[in-house]
Amino acid sequence: MREIAKACVIAAKDMLTEIRTREVISSVVVFAVLVIVIFNFAFGSNQQAAGLVAPGIIWVTFAFAGILSLNRSFVLEKEEDCIEGLMVAPISREAIYLGKFFGNLLFIFLIQAIVIPVFSLLFNVGFFNIELVLITILASVGFASVGTLFAAMAVSTRARELVLPILFFPVITPVIIAAVNASAVILGGGVLSDITQWLGIIGAFDIIFIVASYLVFCFIIEE
Amino acid sequence: MKRKVLFFISSGLLLASFYMVLVFVPTEKDMGIVQRIFYYHVPLAWIAFLAFFVVFFASIGYLIKRKPLWDHIACASAEIGLVFISLMLLTGMIWAKAAWGAWWIWEPRLTTSLVLWFIYVAYFIVRAYVIEEERKARFGAVVGIIGFLNVPLVFLSVTLWRTQHPPLTIFTEGLVGSMMATLMVCLVAFNFFYFYLLAEGTLMKADERTVKQLKEESIRRNP
Amino acid sequence: MENAGYMLSAFIIIWAALLGYVFMLSRRQAKIHRDIELLKENISQQG
Repeated sequence: MREIAKACVIAAKDMLTEIRTREVISSVVVFAVLVIVIFNFAFGSNQQAAGLVAPGIIWVTFAFAGILSLNRSFVLEKEEDCIEGLMVAPISREAIYLGKFFGNLLFIFLIQAIVIPVFSLLFNVGFFNIELVLITILASVGFASVGTLFAAMAVSTRARELVLPILFFPVITPVIIAAVNASAVILGGGVLSDITQWLGIIGAFDIIFIVASYLVFCFIIEE
Repeated sequence: MKRKVLFFISSGLLLASFYMVLVFVPTEKDMGIVQRIFYYHVPLAWIAFLAFFVVFFASIGYLIKRKPLWDHIACASAEIGLVFISLMLLTGMIWAKAAWGAWWIWEPRLTTSLVLWFIYVAYFIVRAYVIEEERKARFGAVVGIIGFLNVPLVFLSVTLWRTQHPPLTIFTEGLVGSMMATLMVCLVAFNFFYFYLLAEGTLMKADERTVKQLKEESIRRNP
Repeated sequence: MENAGYMLSAFIIIWAALLGYVFMLSRRQAKIHRDIELLKENISQQG
């Protein structure tokens, strides 16, 4: 339990930094909205097509925006050598992972809270029902689970902007497939019972990769 | 010495497979002569996934034991796996073109292999952009572990996704005796060949490490 | 004999790739052994 408390402290620190500087949320939100607008140029003129590809667009947007937000979660730490500070502090490596994970998850939720209404407006698609919220929460947990691990790795390489997407996108494939298909079902008038298998996949992904990332994180920020 | 034995066994078996696939086995009636690709496509796929399992196993071994040998095995197996999975994708595409007229089909096995290909590539890109030997091995190991855990989930999600579309069976049902024998010979041949390549690759990586150490030694003595 | 072209190209690709890979491995190995010999000689001369 104390580990979770310490993790929350780390997450709170990240949140505080963001509140003071407001760097990340604003830039990522602008980026996300831009992506949606560009997609709209690609599909928007055809109302029918727009409705069909809407789930795909929103999740691709979240994937790209997620990469940006995950990237910066460790960039600051690296630049100011805060990683060493964190490691010397009486926190376990696992707690650092959890803290970063919570922080990233909160960031993703915040970004989504702003982007989804904009998306609904531009694409004339209602995103405000409980099933879609559930899908979004579960999928975001998946993003944050491996994303935190890979961001920590990428920031220690010589080409962090290349390494994070290369790692993130293939691994996140099951989440994207499941989220897009489940969203499409719900937007097409389905109910919760129709998407149980998809939710099962995302749920399994979340559990497996939170545990796996939790266990291997210490090997990333070693030394 | 043992490597020579492996080499001769695999060469012999591979030559035998050559004869069996081209001459011995009868032509399948539905697909015609193209079906013979099947006898290589399946073993290629098997080895590609076996190689990745070895990467997974050796990665765990490295993280626990920290002996360079584990990293050599993982890296060598990843290299071989990349070759085999590339070949598997290529033969799969040729097959798809011959059978369905399209170079690519979103069939579960093919799609999962495509994602695995990207994960293999990510393994090497991460290693390429890390300078220190020890960290290179550690990061590679993490990619190997996370990537391997991801593969079943990818397969599951793609399978579920494609059940909504007409199924494309790659493999016809009943295999006549001679066909089964041919497939088995090819499978065994490629297995031996894989282990031969793994042995050579591992020893070569160990030699490369020796070269590095000798270079450092040489610089140390003669700055 | 339709699609014979496809099957032939598949075979050529497979065997070319595998043989090519083995060939590349043996060349790399030869270079590494040469390097090791050179470096060992170097060191014994300096030491």
